[in-house]
Amino acid sequence: MTLRTRQALEFALDNLVWFMLVFVLVVFSIFIPNYFQLGIFANIIEASSVLGVMSIGLALVIIAGHMDLSVESVAALSAMAVGILFCSSGIGLGVQLHPEWLMVPVSLLLALTVGGLIGAFNGFLVVRVKMSAFIITLASYIWVRGLVLVISGGRSAQDLAPAIRWFGIQRLIGLPLTAWIAIACFVVFSLIMAKTPFGRHLVMIGGNETATFRAGIRVNRNLIIAFVLAGAIAGLAGWLLAIRTSGATANLGVGLLFNAFAAVVIGGVSLKGGVGTLPGVYAGVLLLSAINTAINLMGLPANFTQVIHGLLVLAAVLLDAFKQTIRQRLA
Amino acid sequence: MSEPLLVLDNVTKNYGAIEALKGISFSIGKGEVVALLGDNGAGKSTLVKIISGGLEPTSGRMLFEGKEFLARSPAEAKAAGIETVYQDLSLCTNVDVVANFFMGREITRKVLGIPVLDERAMEAVVSKALASAGTRIPSLRTNVEHLSGGQRQAIELNRFVHWGGKLVLLDEPFAALGVEQTRRGLDMIRQVASQGIGVVIITHIMQQAFQVADRIVVIRQGVVAGDVARNKTSPDAVINMITGETLAGAGPAS
Repeated sequence: MTLRTRQALEFALDNLVWFMLVFVLVVFSIFIPNYFQLGIFANIIEASSVLGVMSIGLALVIIAGHMDLSVESVAALSAMAVGILFCSSGIGLGVQLHPEWLMVPVSLLLALTVGGLIGAFNGFLVVRVKMSAFIITLASYIWVRGLVLVISGGRSAQDLAPAIRWFGIQRLIGLPLTAWIAIACFVVFSLIMAKTPFGRHLVMIGGNETATFRAGIRVNRNLIIAFVLAGAIAGLAGWLLAIRTSGATANLGVGLLFNAFAAVVIGGVSLKGGVGTLPGVYAGVLLLSAINTAINLMGLPANFTQVIHGLLVLAAVLLDAFKQTIRQRLA
Repeated sequence: MSEPLLVLDNVTKNYGAIEALKGISFSIGKGEVVALLGDNGAGKSTLVKIISGGLEPTSGRMLFEGKEFLARSPAEAKAAGIETVYQDLSLCTNVDVVANFFMGREITRKVLGIPVLDERAMEAVVSKALASAGTRIPSLRTNVEHLSGGQRQAIELNRFVHWGGKLVLLDEPFAALGVEQTRRGLDMIRQVASQGIGVVIITHIMQQAFQVADRIVVIRQGVVAGDVARNKTSPDAVINMITGETLAGAGPAS
């Protein structure tokens, strides 16, 4: 095999999820009436913004060789915190700030802080106390959701302040600002992972933690930062979620974790750590969203969605194993 | 002997009730190659980890360049100028050759105040380092998982030669190398030593020890069983020190 065909094959394997996305979009456009519309495509991107942002944080931690199951609950708690403070009906306190735009940075900071703190808590227990990330973040997944129920009393907050809602309504080139925020997150974090020493170190820690420790990389510090980032990003996802639903309910975002997992795995991130890129994860998110849209358009009962997502995750894992064997042949 | 670079003074290490090192004392001079020999479980690797910051000693002290020295982490040892090549290779197979070569010491340039990896500069350095050592690797951008055991070990060896420092610890560095590559590796060690860098090499192969070392230190059951200049001993005498049938005249046993 010449070097060129080999490089082409490597490229195809690395970007397989993008080809799948294009393939799926083409097939749906041909066979599903009304699928091929700019509005539909915009909708696919729009609907994937919350999930997309959440997947970034999850992917960071998984690439570094760990796990964060708490992202969904963290997002819900952040959304609830924003909802309680800045919603005017339900359990909302309707806090008003002057000038009004001040509510945007304050609510955003609140969401990021809530997320970051829980991330720091997870990170501390996993990295310093050396407990299993799976168990610690599973516990957080449960108690943080419990906290949402406690502070909301099971009720909901509605009518988010218009100044914050503005991000969900104002459009730029056909997409609401919330979708642009998600895209910007993907661009920024993709660059961080691919181009900075921090990102490179996270990938290497996921590949061989002992080696990076011996090489003098501050493994613990990097891992804790990854957990804090995952929490803060989940907080941002919660902020977007509050905007999207114009408030917060006690069961907001239930099930998002599994979709985020699906997106991350489909996007080519290995659960063993050290493998995967964020653009791939974004493609995974878009792929899930494209399929959801197709299900809606075909008028299939929404109950099918979960079955299809489950099968997709299975397919993604099988595909990953398949890619590994091809790679070994290539070597 | 030249002036001592690293002095170990009665270093011990206990794992619970087990005494892995019962009190090790020896020294390494600048530009000196010391071969550390001993049977499996004699405590060689433990000793290397203590010097390189992977483990903390239970008691005893070390002097590095005449100053009290204790590395609490590999990062501290590296900062002091101690490089280590471990027995189980310390490579991240999920990233490419360049990334491994620069692990933790990446060349960056500032873009808007943010450090960004300077891939081109790093690749140039690696290709120069590998070429001058005569190591052939098809593409520096292939992930290390696609490389053979020998190529991987060559990367590690070239890495330590490139970064140098003041003291190099090699824990069975030639386990996966062929005859020619091993010869080249031994040459590298002599070359590094001639720059005034101290080298400690752990090996099981007597022939290698006699080829490259200035001095041979034998560890048995956690103590130094022999510390002799290479030209004053023989493989047979060293084997007897390793197995415990110490012969008179093989060297001072502590």
